Amino acid sequence: MNIIEIRDLHFHYVEQEQVLEDINLTIEKGEWVSVLGHNGSGKSTLSQLIIGLLKADQGEIIVDGLTLNEDTVYDIRKKIGIVFQNPDNQFVGVTVEDDIAFGMENLCFPREEIIRRIDEYSKRVRMNEYLKKEPHNLSGGQKQRVAIAGILAMNTDIIIFDEATSMLDPKGRDEILDYIKEINAQGVTVITITHDMKEAIHSDKIVILKEGKILKVGTPKEVLNDKATLNASNLELLLPLKLMYQLEESKIDNPDLKDYLWQLSLNR
Amino acid sequence: MNNIIIGQYVPGDSFLYKMDPRSKIVALILLMVSTFILQNVFHILVMLSLVLILLWAGGIPIGRIIRGLRPIMILLTFTFTFQILFVETGSLLYTLPLTISVYNLLIAIALVVLYVLTRKRVRFRLFYFLAYVAGILALFNLFAPGDVLTSPVINVYSDGVRGAFYIMIRLVIIVTLSTILTLTTKPTDLTLGLEQLLKPLSLIKISAEEIALIISIALRYIPTLLDEANKIMLAQASRGVDFTEGKLKDKIMQIISLLVPMFIISFKRSDELANAMEARNFVPGQYRTRLHVLSWQWIDTVVVITSTLFIAGSIVVVILT
Repeated sequence: MNIIEIRDLHFHYVEQEQVLEDINLTIEKGEWVSVLGHNGSGKSTLSQLIIGLLKADQGEIIVDGLTLNEDTVYDIRKKIGIVFQNPDNQFVGVTVEDDIAFGMENLCFPREEIIRRIDEYSKRVRMNEYLKKEPHNLSGGQKQRVAIAGILAMNTDIIIFDEATSMLDPKGRDEILDYIKEINAQGVTVITITHDMKEAIHSDKIVILKEGKILKVGTPKEVLNDKATLNASNLELLLPLKLMYQLEESKIDNPDLKDYLWQLSLNR
Repeated sequence: MNNIIIGQYVPGDSFLYKMDPRSKIVALILLMVSTFILQNVFHILVMLSLVLILLWAGGIPIGRIIRGLRPIMILLTFTFTFQILFVETGSLLYTLPLTISVYNLLIAIALVVLYVLTRKRVRFRLFYFLAYVAGILALFNLFAPGDVLTSPVINVYSDGVRGAFYIMIRLVIIVTLSTILTLTTKPTDLTLGLEQLLKPLSLIKISAEEIALIISIALRYIPTLLDEANKIMLAQASRGVDFTEGKLKDKIMQIISLLVPMFIISFKRSDELANAMEARNFVPGQYRTRLHVLSWQWIDTVVVITSTLFIAGSIVVVILT
């Protein structure tokens, strides 16, 4: 079942050239889709269009059977949670518990339910000992975990991670990635927006964007096999993949090594 | 940057901490008004002892109160001086004839320059300042060689002195009361209390919830923006901007080099924050449940009734006398 359907989507900012052009995409329920693209490829714009923070010039977005328009935007937002890039600019509450509660307060959950869920989800992201702490006493990774708890607590069907790891250190990045895997394993549809191929490789489906157009949609295996597209996308290739391509160009022929590098690229 | 404390809240567990912020705010306003209603020395003394009892019962360190009073010292000195100099009713208490001549004017200017130059190295600045004022007055009064330029007279009247003392004591009481409130109430509780009290404003289409949300977000972003300002200052310093030295003109330029990026960053932040809030289903003006609720206890009722009786009593006393 398709949970998100995007048809003929076009978008441009005022007095700027086209940011997104002719986007067609379907995302199945429970799927993990990575939108992979360089800076300025329009990938973050796409997430803001899906949640109705921006209005498309043309085309339609259907989320869980609802076509996005002015009447349905609030209902659609209830189905989607977004974790943004900058940990500081999405921390609304004065303390950790206030921030986790913010989304639930807006959805008018009863107070007892809010308290129960704060407890449950702060434990899940291991922030339960920090509930009374203020954001300036937390690290970037901790703030991002609080943001995840706040989104999970709203119980949405879809969670978008909009470059959620790009401002974190490698340790924080791995932690968030583990949570994404866990969330997806529990049946939540996940969309990660990233420029990091290492992150995208874990997903079920990769969408490569370049200058507002979809370059390729496919499984990680299919994408990594498509050398021409990868070269055209200007993306930073994974190190083993880069090595493999260079090996192919050279005269050294070692199928075992190539095989090993291929497995490494797929992170197996 | 990790230990910034917003507001003056000091943790404690006296009855003032257990009270509902709403009752504290109401009591504060009632007591403030009665401070201004009360007229004579006896009334003011009653008020003053009430404040002292509050301080004692609430277990509030006096040092904190004095620190709270420090910013209004200058205001106090000025109102005091103006009352004494310009009120001309009541009986004449004291006359201070001054003679300003060329020579003592020059000495006075020299003293002012000396004061400006040495002021930053002295610990008790207010006393230092008052000592200079007294010195200059004594100079004009006692020592006037050379051509006399003008000879004004300072007349001190009884009403002026009384007015000066009343205003001083009233200001001290008011600042002490509000310091008690901010010392014993967390900023979050304070905004929540204000929000509930301002609810009637919705009748004139002003949303108390939005005001409270704005205040709490502003509070939450103070440390973040301070951090940002520090970073910008370091970045500018590494490009050769010196924030500590320089003429006034240079200083203004330095402040601009700090303010412009701060403005741009704040706008960018607020844009992203607004997106994040909307993405989490925030709709301005729509009803939301609240994690924090205030609990009104018997002590709150007692305090509000007591302060209402106090203000009613003050009105009755003033009308009768």
